[in-house]
Amino acid sequence: MSSTTQSPIIARDLVRTFGSGEDEVRAVDGVNLEVTAGEVFGFLGPNGAGKSTTVRILTTLLKPSGGSASVAGFDIVTQADAVRRSIGVALQDAAIDPLMTGTELLRLQAVLYGIPRNSQAERAGELLERVGLSAAGDRRVGTYSGGMRRRLDLALALIHEPTVLFLDEPTTGLDPMSRMSLWEEIRRLNNDGTTVLLTTQYLEEADQLADRVAIIDNGKIVKEGRPEALKTDVGAPTLLISVADHHVESAREVLAQFGEARPTAEGTLGVGLTQGASDVSNVVRALDAQGIAVEHLELRAPSLDDVFAEATGHRLEGAS
Amino acid sequence: MSTIALRRRDQIGALSSRSILSLVRQPSLVVPSLIFPLFFVALGTSAFARAINIPGFPEVDSFLDFALAGSVVQGVLFGSVTSATALATDIETGFFDRLLVAPSSRTAILVGRLAGAMVYGLAQTLFFTLVLFPFGLSIQSGVIGLIAMMIGGLFTALAVGALMSAMAIKTGSSEAVQGSFPLIFILLFFSSAFFPRQTMDGVYRRIADINPLSYLVEGFRSLTIDQLTLTAVLQTILIPAAISIIGIGISLRTLRNRLAAS
Repeated sequence: MSSTTQSPIIARDLVRTFGSGEDEVRAVDGVNLEVTAGEVFGFLGPNGAGKSTTVRILTTLLKPSGGSASVAGFDIVTQADAVRRSIGVALQDAAIDPLMTGTELLRLQAVLYGIPRNSQAERAGELLERVGLSAAGDRRVGTYSGGMRRRLDLALALIHEPTVLFLDEPTTGLDPMSRMSLWEEIRRLNNDGTTVLLTTQYLEEADQLADRVAIIDNGKIVKEGRPEALKTDVGAPTLLISVADHHVESAREVLAQFGEARPTAEGTLGVGLTQGASDVSNVVRALDAQGIAVEHLELRAPSLDDVFAEATGHRLEGAS
Repeated sequence: MSTIALRRRDQIGALSSRSILSLVRQPSLVVPSLIFPLFFVALGTSAFARAINIPGFPEVDSFLDFALAGSVVQGVLFGSVTSATALATDIETGFFDRLLVAPSSRTAILVGRLAGAMVYGLAQTLFFTLVLFPFGLSIQSGVIGLIAMMIGGLFTALAVGALMSAMAIKTGSSEAVQGSFPLIFILLFFSSAFFPRQTMDGVYRRIADINPLSYLVEGFRSLTIDQLTLTAVLQTILIPAAISIIGIGISLRTLRNRLAAS
């Protein structure tokens, strides 16, 4: 009963608890989501925020403790098999049997998804070519680099040409080059009409790829919107200042006159400049007047990290 | 056959090839379960050569004929631990999730993973028999008996593999599965695998009497040392086949619970 007008991913009040009694942990705590067709939706949050648990629920690997969700028009609990048929999934850490070759894995995947025997080899070849692994297809996966594994993982997820793709931290741990090539591939898929939900702990990744971003912290979505709009909402640029340890408290008081304090990495003070960049010289003068020497100064335009910090009160991936 | 049944058959086929391939590509996992049982036979045959004269000991030409059944079951049990460990490793690495997230039959995932052990169980039975022939082994029930033993070996591997898989799925830990190895060893020692029940006494005898492994081993043994009987064939095949069905049932149930609870 897939309907064409319905959004491909809808979650309503999704809850998932682990353990019971006093030890109960609410890993997902009332998540509401709607991803529209053809969108790249970025799910942003630190480790343990509930990103992966939400993805595991939406991909039928985990039953929700509460709430409901539909993917590709099918209910994730009562129509789990139909959901599985419609989605492509690349889970965290690219779990790939190191003893098998790339081609063997693709052919196994083809059987699991019911692809006719006479087109399996062709499909495997196409996908290997698409992700640039043609030359490595007959090598055991154990010999692949991290980037190659992720690319193979993506190819496996595409075997049945799914319309909805779930990518759980697709580039975590990859070098910049591999990351870029994977981004390119994800953009290409999206241009072809695939709806993508990706989780990431990299702000840049969300900024680069996602049409919309949801920031999740402690199992709850704390902010949602287009990256540009979210950044504009934060408004003021952030001024980051380092001073000698014994000046920190007095510097904090001075900075408070120029705007709200922003969370930063340890050893740095941050303030959202209400008057914008033109206030920088005033800040420096005010600090100078108090006899506080500035050791380091940096002005930063609003980033998704600021959005994140404003929404959660702490910073992601140790960014300052 | 319906489309679903056809797809399940293909899935079992593909997943079976994978599990057989993984045994072939990791010979170091396989070799110990071929050597240890033979070592036990060699030891037993030289140490207990005259035990066959003890009153109550079955009538055999040599201890070797008596020992074959025990070593076959021992070898197959060890092989099955390997295959359940492989399942636990699949869970640890996340490969299992890849299978679960595909529209694949749950039975296919399980049976496919155990197929390697099944083929291996059959091959082990043949291997032990062939290796011991030059040392004077004789199979009284002939070729049909040997075939029955090979099928019995296959089902024994499935039965133990399925039960151990439930543990693998429940714990998701390859260490836990490997840790159960000594337990199986103990169970085997408290059976008639190495000595006939008739020569046992006291608690030892009582445990061996209720130990299903005793009856399994005795089926194999009867095919080795007696003329072919239907009872022995059924004992060798049906006991492990029945345990297989129960084991697969338990494993599938554990799998369902895992999705809801983990």
